[in-house]
Amino acid sequence: MKPAKFEYHKPETLDEALTLLAEYGDEARVIAGGQSLVPMMNIRLARPDHLIDINGIDDLSQIRLENGSVAIGALVRHREIEHSAQLAQACPPLPAAACNIGHYALRARGTIGGSLALADPAAEFPLMATLLDAEFVARSGAGERSVPSHEFFVSVFTTALEPEEILTAVRFRTLAQSEGWGFRWFSRRVGDYALVNAAAIVALKDEGRIHRIAMVLGGVGATPVRLTGLEQESVGAEASAGWVREISSAAAARVEPGGDKHASAEYRRELVELLLAGALEDAIDRCRGRQAA
Amino acid sequence: MSGVKPEDTARDGFDQIGKPVPRKEDARLLRGKGTYLDDIEVPGALHACFVRSPYAHARITGFDLDEAKAAPGVVAVVTGHEVNDWTNALKMAPPIEGLQPTEMTTLPVDKARFHGDPVACVVATDRYLAEDAAELVYVEYDLLDAVTSYDAALADGAPLVDETLPSNLVSHQKFEAGDIARRKAEAYRVVEAAFAMQRMTHLPIETRGCIALWDDGRAHLTMHIGSQAPHPMRSMLAGRLRLAEHQVTVASPDVGGAFGQKIIVYREEITVAALACRLKRPVRWREDRLENLSASLQARENAVKTLAAVARDGRILSLEAEITEDFGAYCFYPANYLARVIGMILTGPYRIQDYAFEVKIALTNKCGAGPMRAPMAITSLVMDGTLDAVARELDIDPAEVRRVNMVRPSDLPYVMPTGEKLEDVTPSECFERGLEEIGYAAFRDAQEADRDNGIYRGLGMCNVIESTTYGSAFYKAAGIPGSGHEAAWVKIEPSGAIRASAGLMGTGQSYETPYAQAVAEGLGVDPAQVDVVLGNTDISPYGMGARGSRGATAGGGTLFLAALDLKAKMLDIAAALLGLNSPSELELRGGQVLRHVGGAWSETGLGLGDIARTAYMDPLKLPEGMEPGLEMHRAWDPPQMTYSNSTHFCAVTLDAATGRVDIDRYLIVEDCGTVLNPLVVEGQQQGATVMGIGGVLFEHMVYDESGQNLCGTLADYMIPTACEAPEIEIVSQNTPNRRTPAGIKGMAEGGIMGAIGAVNNAVNDALRPFGVVAERQPLSPDYIRSLLRVTG
Ligand SMILES: Cc1cc2nc3c(=O)[nH]c(=O)nc-3n(C[C@H](O)[C@H](O)[C@H](O)COP(=O)(O)OP(=O)(O)OC[C@H]3O[C@@H](n4cnc5c(N)ncnc54)[C@H](O)[C@@H]3O)c2cc1C
Repeated sequence: MKPAKFEYHKPETLDEALTLLAEYGDEARVIAGGQSLVPMMNIRLARPDHLIDINGIDDLSQIRLENGSVAIGALVRHREIEHSAQLAQACPPLPAAACNIGHYALRARGTIGGSLALADPAAEFPLMATLLDAEFVARSGAGERSVPSHEFFVSVFTTALEPEEILTAVRFRTLAQSEGWGFRWFSRRVGDYALVNAAAIVALKDEGRIHRIAMVLGGVGATPVRLTGLEQESVGAEASAGWVREISSAAAARVEPGGDKHASAEYRRELVELLLAGALEDAIDRCRGRQAA
Repeated sequence: MSGVKPEDTARDGFDQIGKPVPRKEDARLLRGKGTYLDDIEVPGALHACFVRSPYAHARITGFDLDEAKAAPGVVAVVTGHEVNDWTNALKMAPPIEGLQPTEMTTLPVDKARFHGDPVACVVATDRYLAEDAAELVYVEYDLLDAVTSYDAALADGAPLVDETLPSNLVSHQKFEAGDIARRKAEAYRVVEAAFAMQRMTHLPIETRGCIALWDDGRAHLTMHIGSQAPHPMRSMLAGRLRLAEHQVTVASPDVGGAFGQKIIVYREEITVAALACRLKRPVRWREDRLENLSASLQARENAVKTLAAVARDGRILSLEAEITEDFGAYCFYPANYLARVIGMILTGPYRIQDYAFEVKIALTNKCGAGPMRAPMAITSLVMDGTLDAVARELDIDPAEVRRVNMVRPSDLPYVMPTGEKLEDVTPSECFERGLEEIGYAAFRDAQEADRDNGIYRGLGMCNVIESTTYGSAFYKAAGIPGSGHEAAWVKIEPSGAIRASAGLMGTGQSYETPYAQAVAEGLGVDPAQVDVVLGNTDISPYGMGARGSRGATAGGGTLFLAALDLKAKMLDIAAALLGLNSPSELELRGGQVLRHVGGAWSETGLGLGDIARTAYMDPLKLPEGMEPGLEMHRAWDPPQMTYSNSTHFCAVTLDAATGRVDIDRYLIVEDCGTVLNPLVVEGQQQGATVMGIGGVLFEHMVYDESGQNLCGTLADYMIPTACEAPEIEIVSQNTPNRRTPAGIKGMAEGGIMGAIGAVNNAVNDALRPFGVVAERQPLSPDYIRSLLRVTG
């Protein structure tokens, strides 16, 4: 469990880092918190020749509220998101997701950029990015581009990032006053990746009819799965307990989860139904609470 | 035998034994000042890395080592072709009926038998380079079909794991006492039940590892290696390396856990030692986590089916048990070793005389199995689970079924059908106390009411008879080779400084503190004065080591006896110095000699220091014929077995929707006799119980059908963390054992036995309204759902 040989670089600016990436291309890997990359290197599943440590780059660690969105720098640690008062106010699903990631030590080092670039299909931030229509800001020597979440996550551990690109920030939409959210997960132990997780945002109008809705599931496919079709079918429906049951069982019927040593496909499907229902109930409750307030 | 007799040492009150003295070793261990293997710096040491089979079963048809040998920093690359010439094979052929003899070379050259089997070793100037070169070792394999389950191993035409054997059935024994056929004919009903535990591994925080130092001038090997049993390990090492025992020193530094994984010497360690001898350079090896999970030692994968012939009131008239075990690819231990104990103590605290068992052990293409903390763990689950099955089938309260079968105080001493004798145990007292503490009747009422509201709670009970200490007579009776004796010495230096040692070695459970207390009690001094040194075979006496919950009884007990003998010598000296004819009025307390005169103890002005000085520096003042010095050695062979007992109660809530089990309450009532140190005992009770819970709910070493190990990391092999550990309430009872020094019994494995039974029984109690029973572990949410799904 020792990594294969690599050369370590610690650029001080983003431009320096991008120059290095341009030079080494897919022989290089960016290291942020190292929580996922280092174990992979130790078992030699990852064997970059060049390791580019971006922790010394100052301007990747900010959380900036903009009009209707929040931009989070790639180096912002899970702990900061967990404890950010700004986010608790503007985009509460993010702190709720962050506090559920792993254990304390991991949250102190792990970064949101690392989590998103890793693209584990059961991870919290990819789930929230998909829920909150995130825009990924990717920089390379050639310039900057913005990638929407439905294009960013390509497959298991695979994103739209090019080898010479660095993810610098992610922009999430904030929640409107009229919206409620819900997030549910199931894991066997505290701190484990969820077997399945589910998140939803709901806005109601006309005495409890669905006005806007977003629903996403994690752990059931190669990327987080946004339930776009069901979202469209739901608009105008009455947000009753019966509707929640219907929509969750419809979701369970539509997803194609895989089975592994931790859980069978059948079990994951059952969790989808339960967790999505829970997330929707929470979202509807919060929505009603906000409207009442 | 001279010296104090163990049975004469019981007392109502002790000065030092039983005190909650904080763990002495924590001062170094918790401040990062421990010395573990990796803390030992050896200039110029080479690093070993093993090349392991990626296949479960494959013929080795060739090696190409050239590229690896030419890689940077590489000093040697060897395979079994060299190492087997330098070392003796491990023959496992005790004369046991039904046990197939096996033999294992140090490294396999003909075929690999499991995913992780070591087939070559690279030695380089550092571990990174060794791992780089290991990737350049090319082994040619011809794939063979793998057998990956007990059933597959015994199927017709199954590939042979060990081709020298007639079949994969490596061990098969039967036992019968009483008249089963007759009891069955008399029975109201015959109840069937089935239980299975999954494959697990020990998972010490510190993996295996060693540093081998060869002194070519003296022709002497020093082996730094974490070891539970340094002396037997040295004997094995010497034998395998063709050295005399005096040419080998085993020196165990602080050890970060073992749980049974660090008793024997493994093939990797023999290879490393042999290389150090050949290369005449120090070689070190640190197993990594992937290797520890996949290729170290595994355990448990056993299953038991029972047939209980019962009377209408739930009384068991006869019990039959069919015990099977998947032993993996190699016999590091006699294959019957673990299952045999299961069979012998299965009936536990219950009155059963008509009893039969059959044990079948199969080899498979998985990592070899061996003892893991509570190797007989399944017994309590099987016995109490069988009683629960009886309760379900006859619709009697499960507490009542236990009551009508339990050994009563008036039945003691009770001879089990296998000949094992229960004495000084309190199963019914502990059980009744537990029922009271848990509020049994109230729980049942609340459970009933909750069920109507869709809340499924369960209460699991498990009565444990914990076999501890394992004297030589047990090995003989069980047909397993080995001795159960232990040895100790206590020395007082000329200044009065005190040192003591025993043959066994601690691996984190705290031996130094209770041992210091045992010695202090025996001598009449303060435990802080006693330095306990363990683990180095040049210093410690030849004892059989730490296993089978022998630490307190065998280790502490022998030390206590040695200290008592030494005190007797000191009092003889004191009497001489005080001009008394006999020491009968003298006692040592707090390091001072006291004299009993006129109904009260008074000081004599003489202290331990005076006695020590006299013994070493002024021997002419010693009583006639007495040897100078203050050194005492004792060896003691404990009784066949000492039995502790406990009862575990576990209350759970089962989420029927997700299959998740939450532990609401956990209670233990335990009687482990005289306790040396209650803090240490409580730590063991907590730790063992959590380890048991881990087994029931989480841990599972998964192999796929082709024999690939799927649990190479701790994200795959799940153990409970602090977050999953429940609050554990403990009630203590202390009934001394009449045959051991101070009445010590031994403990530290019963927590596992109790938890495995109590948690599983609790879940089955919660499942009761659904009419399904969990028959195998782990009780993963997915498995629970699979049971509930069929009920709709
Ligand atoms: C025990 C354990 C438990 C965990 N539990 C959870 C959990 O419950 N939920 C969860 O979501 N996650 C979990 N994780 C994953 C954890 O959150 C990861 O550490 C995190 O997702 C990766 O962040 P990092 O900063 O450590 O990235 P690193 O490990 O440094 O990098 C991860 C990958 O991202 C790339 N990368 C990093 N930053 C950038 C960037 N700015 N631009 C381009 N590429 C980049 C790296 O090259 C690498 O490929 C767990 C991990 C462990 C070890």
